[in-house]
Amino acid sequence: MSNKTDYPSASDDMLVRQAQRGDMQAFEELVARHRDKIYARAFSMVRNEDEAVDLSQETWVKAWQRIEQFQGESGFATWLTRIAINLCLDHLRRQKRLRAESIEGMEEEGGVERQMPVVISNPTENLEREELRRRIDAAISQLSVAHRTALVLHEFEGLEYKEVAQRMGCSIGTIMSRLFYARRRLATLLAGLKQERLP
Amino acid sequence: MNRETEIRISSWLDGELADSEAAAVSRLVATDPAARALATELGHTRAALAAGEPLRKLEDSRAFYWSKIERAIAAGEAREHAAADAPASAPWRRWLRVLAPVGAIAVVALVAAVPALREHARAGTVLLAEVESPLEDMSSFTFHSESEGMTVVWVDSH
Repeated sequence: MSNKTDYPSASDDMLVRQAQRGDMQAFEELVARHRDKIYARAFSMVRNEDEAVDLSQETWVKAWQRIEQFQGESGFATWLTRIAINLCLDHLRRQKRLRAESIEGMEEEGGVERQMPVVISNPTENLEREELRRRIDAAISQLSVAHRTALVLHEFEGLEYKEVAQRMGCSIGTIMSRLFYARRRLATLLAGLKQERLP
Repeated sequence: MNRETEIRISSWLDGELADSEAAAVSRLVATDPAARALATELGHTRAALAAGEPLRKLEDSRAFYWSKIERAIAAGEAREHAAADAPASAPWRRWLRVLAPVGAIAVVALVAAVPALREHARAGTVLLAEVESPLEDMSSFTFHSESEGMTVVWVDSH
């Protein structure tokens, strides 16, 4: 049956069903389709290319091992990114980056971050989409791991505060605080990047 | 405006506040210029993030990237098969895992019971009697404790 499948034109659902029956070629097609997204998510969390590649590949290995458990309650890409996120969080915990930098973050929150003036104008107004992505990427890279992780999980992954708190192992209040300070710092960084661009 | 209020404005924009709290923040933003300015800034950042999630493409070719995944999957399956084909002693080992703690508990209980048994023996409540064995090559001893209501027969096959 797998020999007759036109993999490139098959839907994700079809490929998943084939993969659940052990068709590795179908799985390889899924990898080709979604690998950039998984890599981008891993990179957004660990900010290191080699680590992100390794974590994205580990995500696919885990996905193959658990593919029979995928019931289709969420989309396949969503299911995959959840696996990637969990692997990245474990990775950050093993490196103790999450904990160490969250302490740094707490120190920031009591000092400089509170004094930042409100950015009145919209620093990203009228930017081309590619330029906007580039600036946001540059600004996010300057956030602490704890702030960045909360931001990625909430803003990009669409998780509610409760889910972010569960995954990061902290209280909802802490997530509220981290998101607030992450956004404030981003606004300042984006405004700074805009000023740098002025003639 | 204190820190908690500022944080609430951020959570209000995310729709994460209870109705009563959300109404209070909404009123504050409508009436307080500082709260409104902060809400505007936070809103701009949220909108920028929603529109500009950074993208990133892998530099590795499709075949090269897949080859590492394929090898890792094969290695994992080989490990699984090796575990499934584990030696026939595996069931025995499983029983041992269950019986070892039970045995340890029994030994501890026995050690704890020894002083009590000795006390009974000193009090003369344990009666010892050798009974005649019907078999020529076997002998037996019987221990009987009135207080414990227990009889133990020890068969010795020499």
